[in-house]
Amino acid sequence: MSIESATERESDATPGTRVRVSGAALRRHLLGLLGTVGFLLAWQAGAMAIAKPFLLPSPFAVASAFVSELASGRMLAKLAQSLFHYVPGLVVGTGLGIAVGVGMGWSETLDSALTPVTRVLRPIPPLAWIAFAIVWIGIGHGGATFIVAIGAFWINFYNAYSGVESVPEDLQDVAASLGIHDDLRMIRKVVLPSATPEILTGVRTSIGQCWMIVVAAELFGAPGVGYQIINAAQNLAMDVSVVYMLVISAVFLVSDALFRTVEGRLLAWRN
Amino acid sequence: MAELSEQLARIEVDGVGKAFDSGSGDRVQALSNVDFAVDEGEFVCIVGPSGCGKTTLFRIIAGLETPTSGTVRLDGDAVTEPDMDRGMVFQEYGLFPWRTARGNVEFGLEQTDADERERARRAQEMIDLVGLDGFEDAYPSELSGGMKQRVGIARALAVDPEVLLMDEPFGSVDAQTRDMLHDELLRIWAKTEKTILFVTHDVEEAVTLADRIVVLTNGPGTVNEIVPVDLDRPRSRTDDAFGRHQERVLDLIRDG
Repeated sequence: MSIESATERESDATPGTRVRVSGAALRRHLLGLLGTVGFLLAWQAGAMAIAKPFLLPSPFAVASAFVSELASGRMLAKLAQSLFHYVPGLVVGTGLGIAVGVGMGWSETLDSALTPVTRVLRPIPPLAWIAFAIVWIGIGHGGATFIVAIGAFWINFYNAYSGVESVPEDLQDVAASLGIHDDLRMIRKVVLPSATPEILTGVRTSIGQCWMIVVAAELFGAPGVGYQIINAAQNLAMDVSVVYMLVISAVFLVSDALFRTVEGRLLAWRN
Repeated sequence: MAELSEQLARIEVDGVGKAFDSGSGDRVQALSNVDFAVDEGEFVCIVGPSGCGKTTLFRIIAGLETPTSGTVRLDGDAVTEPDMDRGMVFQEYGLFPWRTARGNVEFGLEQTDADERERARRAQEMIDLVGLDGFEDAYPSELSGGMKQRVGIARALAVDPEVLLMDEPFGSVDAQTRDMLHDELLRIWAKTEKTILFVTHDVEEAVTLADRIVVLTNGPGTVNEIVPVDLDRPRSRTDDAFGRHQERVLDLIRDG
């Protein structure tokens, strides 16, 4: 079939491209390694020059603190405490955000009715709700969960809303001509699949953003990794502070990588 | 096809008019008193200059818009909304990008009582009909324009509509592919005996395909004349009679 020539051309080009790509990748990895070593050396040099571990702990001090925090079991306990408000807050906020976003994106009535309210509430940083969290729930797991949920809500609300708004009109016309006549089926068969890339972007963004909120909420006293950062610093154990900063980074990198895998599988139809 | 004139017209467009509110607050008459009929099994093209309301007319016949006056009837029943009796094919394909070629073709079948096995059988039949076998599991993003439109046609035909409505379906593919798709469409039409209403701005395309050409003219859009094309198929563009039909239609469009 002659109209397939484009595909043929692509597959012809693949072998050469692959060689070049792996060469470039190798170079990039080497440079990355070089940069990391350079960073660690600069850090070590800085720590030696300052010579005050409570101002700047050396990488070695951090590494040994990491081992002792891990070995004592404290690290996993603190991580579990953080996850105990991070996960429920993320799940509830994401679920509600997607539901309201899809609802408002789909229904003009709902959109008109709720737009003024959402426009005013959305710019309020989630942490500003800490006052209510304290008064209503108290600053423990409950309060932190509440604030994380608010953060996740707005991110997912906005992405779901714009995802639904940008569903191509053509697709809905075609679906109607193929027997889709009620709203629920249209949402399930056309709107949600079409908006999935944007909805997933929202989920992924909130996975990262909610860690910021977790740490901030814990600075107010909720137990967990963020609290540990401040707590250690107050004892001038800056090496321990850095350990917990790195824990957050590690958890984010792992969860983001997992989510990318899921996302890649769900969006296999793109490209 | 002389016997067709005695049959009930499949599509009747009866005094259809459409006025829009323009942005500046004026009423703009896009279509006025459009009258024509399409017989069962007939291939009718609608041609006209840009802005003559071809697409508006297409959308009214499809049931996507309501006319401000007149009615469109399909087998005697007034058209009020899109439905399975009118399969639609768009210039920009309108494929569901998250579904494979087969998934797209099965979409309409999923809204019927057909069970999974029947859906798969019917989808495969349509995929073979449009010459897409081997590409069942490809996503639209992996297909060329011509292949995409084959999926579009297969999807529309899968639910066995009374008529096929096509809005500039080959407007986004290159000339070579378009020629090939013309042959394919005529072959599919002969095989399925569907009624086809085909909107285009390309006069040569209309003369290549149509039994009759409805020529619309501007301001407001209305039927100028209906030109029968009584040439044997396959038609050759270099043929004198082909040229005469083309000239005739072009004159009608030029002179309004």
